[in-house]
Amino acid sequence: MHSRLLPILVFVLLSSALFAQSAPPASAEPEPSVKSLLDRIQQLEKRISELEDHERKSSSAQAGSSGSPAVAESKPAKAEAMSILPSSEHMATSPAVREAEVHYPSLQIRGFGDVDFSATNEKGTTSGFSLGQFVLHLASPLSSKVRYFGEISFTAQPTTYDLSVERSIIRYDYNDYFKMSFGKYHTPLGYWNTAFHHGAWLQTTISRPEMVRFGGTLIPIHFVGLQAEGNIPSGNLGLGYSVGLGNGRGSVLSKAGDNGDANSNRAWVANVFARPAQFYGLQLGVTVYRDELTPTTGAERREWIEDAYVVYTKERPEFLSEFASVHHTDILTSQVFNSQAFYVQLAYRLPWQENKWKPYYRFEYIHRPESEPDWSVTDLVGSTLGVRYDITNYAAFKGEYRSTRHGVDEPRVNGAFFQTAFTF
Amino acid sequence: MRSPRKFALAALPSALAFAFLCLSLSGPLAAQNRDVDVAVVVHPDTPVSNLSLAEVRKVFLGDRQYWTTNTPVVLLIRAPVARERNVVLKVIYQMSESQFKQYWIAKIFRAESATAPKVVYSNDVANELVTAIPGAIAFIDARDVRPGAKVVRVDGHLPGEPGYPLR
Repeated sequence: MHSRLLPILVFVLLSSALFAQSAPPASAEPEPSVKSLLDRIQQLEKRISELEDHERKSSSAQAGSSGSPAVAESKPAKAEAMSILPSSEHMATSPAVREAEVHYPSLQIRGFGDVDFSATNEKGTTSGFSLGQFVLHLASPLSSKVRYFGEISFTAQPTTYDLSVERSIIRYDYNDYFKMSFGKYHTPLGYWNTAFHHGAWLQTTISRPEMVRFGGTLIPIHFVGLQAEGNIPSGNLGLGYSVGLGNGRGSVLSKAGDNGDANSNRAWVANVFARPAQFYGLQLGVTVYRDELTPTTGAERREWIEDAYVVYTKERPEFLSEFASVHHTDILTSQVFNSQAFYVQLAYRLPWQENKWKPYYRFEYIHRPESEPDWSVTDLVGSTLGVRYDITNYAAFKGEYRSTRHGVDEPRVNGAFFQTAFTF
Repeated sequence: MRSPRKFALAALPSALAFAFLCLSLSGPLAAQNRDVDVAVVVHPDTPVSNLSLAEVRKVFLGDRQYWTTNTPVVLLIRAPVARERNVVLKVIYQMSESQFKQYWIAKIFRAESATAPKVVYSNDVANELVTAIPGAIAFIDARDVRPGAKVVRVDGHLPGEPGYPLR
């Protein structure tokens, strides 16, 4: 009996093995399929727990409001908070919808900070740690169409901290094509100055390019006045604009005229950019800026700046490039001085280790005429090679090697820089 | 009494049929999960019924913030891990979770947007909010869209149609 069963058993086993071996290439499917099913089970389990939570919340909300009419409960909320919701009855019956209600004002605060270490071979400098700017960004919708934005920085000085209001903007949105704002801005001139504000975590590198350095004078970093901005109906071309009128530079050229203009000539700025839909991540723009300078020392000059940029911000790769040409005309002598500056930055988010590594390189260049008096800008040729490592979604380590030469016939300065930058 | 050999021979086709059934079912079930479309649902009063994928992207990037002068866009997005969110990040934003968070922090503090997309924790809540909030737009698993909801065509296609991009 057993001897008769044996061939059958062997046949069954062989047929199973053959079935498994002769399966078509699609038989590789079960592995991902099982994984997909497990994922689906996990999603369903999560959803069940969400629904149970939702149910519990509903029950507790109903229990809490029992004894008072639901509609009456919703009315004070409506008066106090501009609601984005149309129906208070619906709000009263749905905790989820009630939670979605937007209250005005609705202040959001985000902090930025960084700690730095630097060591260079520049004579007269010391290596060591420093505390970067401590920055608070504030954003608060005041109604569905009016918003406030603010930015405050604390900068370490030898004996104290400098407190500075970097931006303070109130904006009224009419629609996507026209938004009007008033206040103190980072001048909408070029790309970097409006894309990256204070808070080193926001930018890939440790430092800003020299041409847009905070405290620098090549271009006006800040601007006090008014600005109109919006989209331009242009289909897939994705055009946008911003135009501004304001005080321009103060009598100290690195500062904006926060407490009044240095002269009676307003500065103006106009910026047009494109974000083509076919090339998601690509942005191109041009800016022109006009002002009259009345510095504390030196001659009054007319200033005319043109800036153009091309950026691709998808991180694989990230490509930022910007060029600015600054023209100064001495009002008394009509002598013209032309300065040029540009930077090109290339970075790439590596696909390994959860996309945490991002090496980068930047080349930057500034040329100014030696003949221009009272102009603190110096010639520059510099390269920066570094890497950013995102420790979490909200903190990063960066390490950089920089090699720069400031001025003509000056020695090259090399240095190593490290930073941990974060937002909280 | 049937001999064991006969019993084994009789059982073999059944066993093979059962194995075949299991294999043939597991594939389509998994494929069904993978390929379920994610619908773009808007508040019933929103004056759009067809958007290109580029326009959906513009809306969800916060570059288009108003449907009409008086109707701001209200973005709703599922919480992390949800399949709808993964589809949105992959197809619309083309970003990782980390990049998405960084994008919105930067967007808000560049003063370009007042708020980030509102996070919703289930498709039921998404259905509820998109019906209740004027200007709301959400991505919902096509199987969970409530009857009567306003589903927007994307590149001229509705969920389930060939060429629908959100899956």
